[in-house]
Amino acid sequence: MSHEYIPEIATDRDGNKHEVQGWQDDFYGGKLGFWLFMFTEVLMFGAMFLVLAYYNTLHPHEFIEASASLNRLLGGINTVILLVSALTMGLSLLKMRVGDVKGAKLMIWATILLAIAFLVIKGFEWRAEYNHGIFLLHGEMLPESGMAFGKKLFFGMYFTMTGIHGFHIIIGIGLMIWLLKRINAGKVTPEHHILHWNIALYWDIVHLIWVFVFPYYYMIGAGGVTGGH
Amino acid sequence: MDTNTIDYKKERVAYYKVLIGLLLLTAVTFIQPHLFMTESTFLAQMSIAVVKAWLIIMYYMHLKGDSLIGVMGIFSLFIVATFMVIILGFDVPNFQYGTESHITGPASAGVEHATPAHH
Repeated sequence: MSHEYIPEIATDRDGNKHEVQGWQDDFYGGKLGFWLFMFTEVLMFGAMFLVLAYYNTLHPHEFIEASASLNRLLGGINTVILLVSALTMGLSLLKMRVGDVKGAKLMIWATILLAIAFLVIKGFEWRAEYNHGIFLLHGEMLPESGMAFGKKLFFGMYFTMTGIHGFHIIIGIGLMIWLLKRINAGKVTPEHHILHWNIALYWDIVHLIWVFVFPYYYMIGAGGVTGGH
Repeated sequence: MDTNTIDYKKERVAYYKVLIGLLLLTAVTFIQPHLFMTESTFLAQMSIAVVKAWLIIMYYMHLKGDSLIGVMGIFSLFIVATFMVIILGFDVPNFQYGTESHITGPASAGVEHATPAHH
């Protein structure tokens, strides 16, 4: 089934017919609308970074100590995975725009697999932390435990922000599967690819958020407790 | 706006160039704490992140040459930055309920708690 625009017809009081202005082909409008949505994401994560920075000013040394205890290898692997997935998603859009629909679908599948790999690694990381008694409302994170309060704030924000980020990855996988269905149904084509464009943008903002999450949580303690702010 | 008027080879090469740049910056992220600005790790890490973000926004998100969305983005970040400056620069140092607050106040029994340090 092809993507065919059927205009709506309005009839005035004299019985004259007029074609209603359609916005289905308003590519820039579609892109602009999605950017507005993405700014709300920036504001949401910006507020969380603000809270994180506030806690950091209160407990700078405990933040560095807590950061040093995170698994930088797994965090680094996930950083590279997201980086490559941004490339595959970008290439899928590029292939769609030049008419290589099969190649575009392959690249979307590659992105989905990379996203799943990210979640699996994140799952292993969280499980190891849980086994060490570090998880929300669990073990060392409970109010009565002896863990330094600054570390509790750090790990609380760590699980909250990486959790919300992981939720965005899951949504991204769902969107990509939906995109594949729309491509298969002929609703997304090289001529009408705004949905593909916007989902690629969504994936880029998920990557962009990680670009700041990773160094703030994993790297500020990499130089040891002498690492300054 | 016709987005199909593209030079496939040129755009694909640009994608790979940006990928190499991002990978190099990720490598710098890992070696920085042991190599340079070792006393300012936070500042160095955030600076690298800003450069990476700029590459992603300009080339992967196709914002290069799109001034309207660019201005909106700067405005959005300006709002976040303004609140950060107000809260961290003025509100936190003059927080009047510091001793009573659960976050900033002294440790409760049995809980190790560092003295709040305002910067």
